[in-house]
Amino acid sequence: MSDNLARVMRPSWLGAEAPVEPERRHIEIVTAKQQRRSRPRVMYAVTAVAGIGAIVVAQLLLSVGISQGAYTISTLEAQKVELGRTAASINEDLVRLSSPQSLAANAAALGMVTNANPVYLRLSDGKVLGAPAAAQGDGAAALVPNSLLTGVAKPQPKAAPVASPVAPAAAGAEGGLPSPSTR
Amino acid sequence: MSHHPTGSTARRRIAVTLSALVLIVGLFVVKLVDIQVVRADTLNAQSLGNRSVEDTLYGARGDILAADGTMLAGAVMRYDVTLSPKNAAPWKRTVNGTETTVTVAQAAGEIGAIVGQSQDHVLGIISGALADNPESDFAYVAKQVDVDAFRALDKLDIPWLYFKAHPSRVYPNGAVAGNLVGFVSSSGAAQAGLELGQDACLAGHDGTAVYERGGDGVPIPGSSVTTKPAEDGGDVLTTVDSDLQWYVQETLAAQAKATGAAWGTVVVQEAKTGKLLAVADYPTVDPNNVGASDAEDRGSRAFTASFEPGSTFKALTAASVIDAGKAEPTSQVVAPYRYLPPNGANINDSEFHPNENLTLTGVLIESSNTGMSKFGERLTDKARFDYMKKFGVGTESEVHFPSEDPGILHPYQDWDAQTKYATTFGQGLTTTAIQIASIYQTIANHGVRMPVQLVEGCRAPDGTVTEVPNQKGARVISESAAKKTSQMLENVYGHAWLRDVWKIPGYRVASKTGTAQMPDGHGGYSHGYLVSVSGYAPADDPEFVVSVSLADPVKMNSSAASAPIFQKVMSQVLKKYRAVPSGSAPPVLPATW
Repeated sequence: MSDNLARVMRPSWLGAEAPVEPERRHIEIVTAKQQRRSRPRVMYAVTAVAGIGAIVVAQLLLSVGISQGAYTISTLEAQKVELGRTAASINEDLVRLSSPQSLAANAAALGMVTNANPVYLRLSDGKVLGAPAAAQGDGAAALVPNSLLTGVAKPQPKAAPVASPVAPAAAGAEGGLPSPSTR
Repeated sequence: MSHHPTGSTARRRIAVTLSALVLIVGLFVVKLVDIQVVRADTLNAQSLGNRSVEDTLYGARGDILAADGTMLAGAVMRYDVTLSPKNAAPWKRTVNGTETTVTVAQAAGEIGAIVGQSQDHVLGIISGALADNPESDFAYVAKQVDVDAFRALDKLDIPWLYFKAHPSRVYPNGAVAGNLVGFVSSSGAAQAGLELGQDACLAGHDGTAVYERGGDGVPIPGSSVTTKPAEDGGDVLTTVDSDLQWYVQETLAAQAKATGAAWGTVVVQEAKTGKLLAVADYPTVDPNNVGASDAEDRGSRAFTASFEPGSTFKALTAASVIDAGKAEPTSQVVAPYRYLPPNGANINDSEFHPNENLTLTGVLIESSNTGMSKFGERLTDKARFDYMKKFGVGTESEVHFPSEDPGILHPYQDWDAQTKYATTFGQGLTTTAIQIASIYQTIANHGVRMPVQLVEGCRAPDGTVTEVPNQKGARVISESAAKKTSQMLENVYGHAWLRDVWKIPGYRVASKTGTAQMPDGHGGYSHGYLVSVSGYAPADDPEFVVSVSLADPVKMNSSAASAPIFQKVMSQVLKKYRAVPSGSAPPVLPATW
């Protein structure tokens, strides 16, 4: 072709179809308000991200709280064990001191003696039933051992036990029941 | 110019990339499936094993309690102290803010001061263990230390000192009721007495709990799982009065020592219920210190040692004869020194005397063997044997104490000529102290034998009481026969040769002595005697039975050795339980005719 008209030369490998011109459409410039409205809202994004952030933070705080609770429990349980041990130790001391051997040793140190002679005082008429007899200090060594008491300081016996008076006649009983003089 | 990669080389590149991607993803999926599905369980278990810890939850052993609630045996924790010799090295300790180095010698001194060993001894333990084995990681310092010592040692903060907790036993009252309560071995296994007999009630069951542990040793919250809950053992409630038991043991020990007895027992039983208030033995064991007693003294001879009872058995024969209607308390017989019955036996009394005209009451007062034989032969052997069986002779008591002796009672068909008569006065058969007490309990309780009872029951931790023994009595002799026998025994108490020794003013008492020959172990009798006194009070409404036996009191070879024990123990029992003094005088029955 040899004329003087300008022609758009398309490369041959593109194919023979001619580009289709887009149809002309009516184009307007969008107003600023419409521009703003059509833009995605920042608030939604901020809310969503903040919400997720809050949830994550809350989860963290809760798990920290639980773990802290576990440490508190651990400390309290250790305390419980310690207190239990204190209670056990004191209880052992208590039962050892309330054993009859301990009581008898302390009583003997105070100068008390046993008296197996049963004598009764009938309060209704002041009659003494049985035959009263003075307790004799048997001075017997403790024959029933308690190895828990070895190492516990033995009470020191007093110098000499005072002889107990015979005939425990009710002092102050004037023919009736012995009455206490209280005000 | 725009590039749309749709050419064949472009497609190939896409395809290659995609397939490489798929391959990698596929590898990941395979690996994922392998871990999450195929090997999930093993891997889970491994990880759990690495961070989970198993904890033993101890089930406490139950207590043994006396009738008034006093603890006779209780559970405590004891600690074994060990150290690691190869790690014994100085370390730094912070004291008041300043860090000081503590040497091994100093630490050994501190340890020794608490456990009661010298510093050299503790150092010796370490060096001795290292000499045997330079890599030694374990050596005992002290075993079974109590809580106070453990806490003191723990406070020292020695990094190479370790502790192991053991549940253990403590017996707060020492030797009081030690014969009955028994003891446990150092590993906690019951070995004697109620600890052994009631082990099914007392033993606790350990549990296990598994929890997961974080890096610093704190349990991960919510991870604790109790795989098996611990069960505490139940408490054994006994009928023993611990104060009375102590008093009886003291009295028995004092008199046994004074008379040089080989051993002795005292049984105190409630007449109306058959419950044992005190069972004392001499010599006896302190369960806190078992090694201090000989092996034979660690049980309760009252249950396990049977002996020929001797004359205290005459009360049974007399009761049987009266119940069968063959005699009355005033029945008459001539009692010679030596009686030779037709079947060839040879019976004699303890002291030579001319022929005496005795009633049945007199036979008991004088304790005449020949007189008793003459009354006994009024009953057939079978009849006497049946009465003996009903009274509980030859059968283990209802307590079923560990190693309890049922006694020897040969079937009446096997009785030879001498045994036929010897069994009327308590030789030729054997009984335990418990069985003798039970015979007198039957007579005291108007002829009704109550089962011998030591244990009230087993109280579980939640309070329910189980295993209550049977408390139903059985009638052995009629009420009138028991009453007549009781009156005869009151006369024995009032007129026998020991009447001044065992007198308890203000009370009516019934009692009988016994002086039995002891076997020499070769089929004959030795020179030692087993002296006993058994009786009950108040005789007008009997409440307490006391039976005292002393074996071979070399310094006083007669019932006079055991009578003071009877008097003291019976007085104490009557006083403690506020038994009302008898208002009436005892009946007097003729002893001679």
